[in-house]
Amino acid sequence: MAQNSSIGSIRQLLGLGGITVLLGACGAAIPPQELVDARAAYQQAVESPASEWAPAKLDTARQSLEEAEAAFEDDPDSELTRDLAYIAERRARASAAAGQREQNKRRLAQLEAEYQELERKQANMTKEELEKMRARLEEERRRAAAGEQALAQKDEALAQKEAEIEREREARKAAEGKLSAAIASLKEMGSVKEESRGVVITLSGSVLFATGEYNLLPIAKEKLNEVATALKDQGYKKIVIEGHTDSRGSAAKNQELSLQRAQSVKAHLVTQGMDASKIEAVGLGPDRPVATNDTAEGRAMNRRVELVVEPE
Amino acid sequence: MRLETLFLVTVCGLGVGACGGAAVPHAQITSAEASVRAAEVGGAQGVPKAELHLKHARDQIEAAKRLIEEGENERALYVLKRAEADAELALALAEEQQSRRDAEGALKRIQQLTEQ
Repeated sequence: MAQNSSIGSIRQLLGLGGITVLLGACGAAIPPQELVDARAAYQQAVESPASEWAPAKLDTARQSLEEAEAAFEDDPDSELTRDLAYIAERRARASAAAGQREQNKRRLAQLEAEYQELERKQANMTKEELEKMRARLEEERRRAAAGEQALAQKDEALAQKEAEIEREREARKAAEGKLSAAIASLKEMGSVKEESRGVVITLSGSVLFATGEYNLLPIAKEKLNEVATALKDQGYKKIVIEGHTDSRGSAAKNQELSLQRAQSVKAHLVTQGMDASKIEAVGLGPDRPVATNDTAEGRAMNRRVELVVEPE
Repeated sequence: MRLETLFLVTVCGLGVGACGGAAVPHAQITSAEASVRAAEVGGAQGVPKAELHLKHARDQIEAAKRLIEEGENERALYVLKRAEADAELALALAEEQQSRRDAEGALKRIQQLTEQ
């Protein structure tokens, strides 16, 4: 193309030189309008993209103009001169249009390439963005899943805790129920009251033991079994079993008897599965009467065993 | 007198044969008409400047045909050449216009793409 262009340029120069020579030869003859137009059109074509992009057509235009100039040289006023100039003018303009067209075509190709490049870049950009978005969504999904898992674990732990609490509540309720039942039962043979030192279960000595004895009566064992079950369910820190007597007889004997009775109760409770290390048996004799020892009724109340339960 | 007349007729006849006896430019008619069709197919009718030259081409072909009917074959030949030049210019202008529109369209597409 570059070579063609160079050849075309040389030809144009030669052509223009020839035209100039012809013009010089024409002398004072006035060229027809068609020839004037042809010369101008050719000059414009030379200065147009035709020189680079349509050199063959420009060369044809040059030849046509040379023919017109030659005809003008021969006969300035002839119809042939005007015809040839007319044709040269059209061909010069056509070559300029062809050059422009070629330039436009190249511009189009360039723009299309640019468009494709832009589209590719945008597509890549979109792809990159999509990848980023996907990664971001995946991360969010992962976090959400982790959060859900953690939440589920928390829920599960909470549910377990609640279930545990509920079980404990139920157990406590059941134990309380049993204790209540036991207490209710105990009330038949004694009393239950809450004091600063703990829950005090007072059992009448007449119900537990025969007079002067420290072995438990069968009915007393049954009742103590219920107490043992209730205390095991409820839980306790420590139990102090106190044996008490009335004031009749020697204090030493009463002291001994009260201890033996307390130990009997402890021994029985241990046979029911209670922890011996948490149970202390003490004999207090007549030292802590709860009623007068002057009446039979008062003395009966003073003969007693007290279970002082220190809750957990 | 007869000989003189014969001489004149012969000279005239020879003269006619040499000057006014050009053949009918059939090839040039075909060529010019083909160029007109090419310009039409190339879209010259939709481009005002091109359409004008297309019209010139058609008019000149018609004029040339009339000249041929009148026996002016040589004159008709050049009129047909002018017609062909006009038709070729019409086609060149139409093609140039089309290429310009194509390039403008491509530029617009790029602008639209970058504005997205």
